[in-house]
Amino acid sequence: MIQVRGLTKVFPNGLKAVDGLDLAVARGEIMGLLGPNGAGKTTTIRTLATLCGFDSGAVIVAGYDVDREPEKIRQSIGVVAQNTGIDYFLTGRENLELQGHLYRMKKADIKLRIAELAGYFELEASLDRQVATYSGGMRRKLDIATALIHRPPLLFLDEPTLGLDIKSRKMLWNYIRKLNAETGLTILLTTHYLEEADRLAHRVAIISGGKIRALGTPDELKGNIAGDALTLHIEQQNWASQQFVTALKQTDYVKDSLWEGNKLHLYVTNGAESVPKISELAGKHSAQILTLSLSRPSLDDVFLKYTGSSMDESSDESGDEWWKQWAGKGGSGKWQQQWNEDQEQATGGNEHNNEWQEKQWTQSGQHEDAAATRPSDATIPAGNNPPQRQWSAEEMAQWQEQRSIDVGVDHDTASSSPAHEDASAKARPREHHDSERSTTQWQNSQEDKKSEQQGVSTEGKSQNSSGNSWPDQQDWLNGSGDDKWAADKKWSGNPSKK
Amino acid sequence: MLADTWYLFNKYMKITVRMPMWTLFTLVQPLIWLIIFGQLFKNITQLPGFPTSSYIDFFVPGVLIMTVLFGSSWSGVSLLREIQSGTVDKMLVSPVSRVAIVLSRVLHSTAQVIVQAAIMLVVSWAMGARLNLVATDLALTMLVVLLLGLCFASISNGFAIVLQREEPLVIIGNLLTLPLMFFSSALVPTSFMPDWIKYIAMINPVNYAVEAVRAVLVNTPNLSHYGSSIFILILFTAAATWWAVAAFNAQRD
Repeated sequence: MIQVRGLTKVFPNGLKAVDGLDLAVARGEIMGLLGPNGAGKTTTIRTLATLCGFDSGAVIVAGYDVDREPEKIRQSIGVVAQNTGIDYFLTGRENLELQGHLYRMKKADIKLRIAELAGYFELEASLDRQVATYSGGMRRKLDIATALIHRPPLLFLDEPTLGLDIKSRKMLWNYIRKLNAETGLTILLTTHYLEEADRLAHRVAIISGGKIRALGTPDELKGNIAGDALTLHIEQQNWASQQFVTALKQTDYVKDSLWEGNKLHLYVTNGAESVPKISELAGKHSAQILTLSLSRPSLDDVFLKYTGSSMDESSDESGDEWWKQWAGKGGSGKWQQQWNEDQEQATGGNEHNNEWQEKQWTQSGQHEDAAATRPSDATIPAGNNPPQRQWSAEEMAQWQEQRSIDVGVDHDTASSSPAHEDASAKARPREHHDSERSTTQWQNSQEDKKSEQQGVSTEGKSQNSSGNSWPDQQDWLNGSGDDKWAADKKWSGNPSKK
Repeated sequence: MLADTWYLFNKYMKITVRMPMWTLFTLVQPLIWLIIFGQLFKNITQLPGFPTSSYIDFFVPGVLIMTVLFGSSWSGVSLLREIQSGTVDKMLVSPVSRVAIVLSRVLHSTAQVIVQAAIMLVVSWAMGARLNLVATDLALTMLVVLLLGLCFASISNGFAIVLQREEPLVIIGNLLTLPLMFFSSALVPTSFMPDWIKYIAMINPVNYAVEAVRAVLVNTPNLSHYGSSIFILILFTAAATWWAVAAFNAQRD
């Protein structure tokens, strides 16, 4: 149904949104593109939907070449974009009728199809009400219905459940699954909800930095990770803990390990058995484990494995639509202001930090989309998130609930005190330095001072640990080339290199 | 393309009919101007060489064109809103004609402006303006309203696409409408203007619109003056519409 080879799209500002992407979607399949925003999902979908061009590669959708026969593709696809795009002042029926006319359908056929779709999505009762009175879930349903009016064999869903509550989200999942099962509709959906990809998609493609990092069924992907996943919060730059980790790696039950800031991800053969062993080992080296959680491997772990950063930290709401990029190019864009504000709040006006952030800004330059919004998500603890980012807190809580069995000490879930925020913001530069990454602009003396101010326990407690995303962040700023990812992984896997 | 334009035009009309307040709201400003300027310039008619005996007779074509200007120059703002809400993307993924997307919007603004102009005519008549209310004269007046509406709705939409942000669009809208009005014979006859303003008026589509309306609506109809004015107006309108459509097509890569 879809064949993409070597798709590359560079934005006018030099950002490589999609970088040699290969993808094949079979008829009747639900394919999920999973990745943080800025990963290139929306751009990919927009390219496939004939909404934007690309620089190189070959794209065939529904049997037609995107370059040569966009008109024919438009007739055979339905697109549900991130923004609903339905008219709020029209009724549901009028929206559907208009869409039918735009697809050049006959009047009688439109009528028939509206009855069909309204029945399917259970919208009959509200069909003649203005969309402005609809709930978020109903608008989404109507949006999908309008996209299906001309009976396309292929449907694109770009973040179909973004901003919906859990109940509406589950309802929508049911509809999507049913559509696929009953009508054989091929669906390509993008999401940054791991759960969504896990539950809906037959196959999942993990996309990051404009490339596909892994592809397979959710079970296959999870199967690539041996055993159970253990997450330790532990002070990385500490002699005792380094001894402990070195010893840990030599044991037979630890299959794989991955540093993510001060979080150590371990993949062990048997979680329940290894937990006491690990704590015993920690005691022997007098290393302090701040928290420890055990879970079955999830797509988050898969994501972590293939991209070197976890989903929570690297996702945020932002589209890569052209007008938003324009807003960024001007240098006074909304996102940039937001980011500056967030930073000021987080650092309490610390001069050096501000200076450092400014440098970050000059580095990031036009990479507005990927870089600008992400850090703010990491910096503000969950509780302080502005309403429009509500989902991330909610999502996180949900995940925590589902996955973790806490064996930990001092597990502080609600880490939203200002002091905390301050601490986690300060922690960042130090990590930079220690990681031997040459990009750091900090003077050593300043850093040492920071380190002293920094209590070990406060940092470890941070549930939303902001430090983690920074190595990854750096990659984003630099354009996230392939080699950089590799370097990053090497670094996180080898904490004792120092 | 025509069918697409028609369906989209219908959509916009439905929305407008559901919110009649907006159409009336944009009338407030021209109404206030009609009253204030009508009083303020009352005695200007005593100056030698003033073409009419009562100022309101002279001012009605000006205020009519003002209504058109204010009504159609904000058309681009709602295009931006549609781009942001994803409505434009939804249209673009359908096989709908690209030209129809811009054209339907421009036509809708124009239709709105025609209704507003008709209301203004009735109000001015009620206020005692002596106009030529013959059917042909009214039709010719409305033709000017239509052309100027198309012209400025296109300009507004074109700027919206080029600028892509609401704030600069509003600034440009203000920057354009007021000077264009003062540099035309809407308030005072051309013969009263200093030379440099006269020259600007010569390249000002608003001036030609005012002149054309005045030629048919006030005093004895002067069809040759009307004809030459409307010819130039048609050129402006065609260029503006072409530009808006081209800008829209160019924006999509």
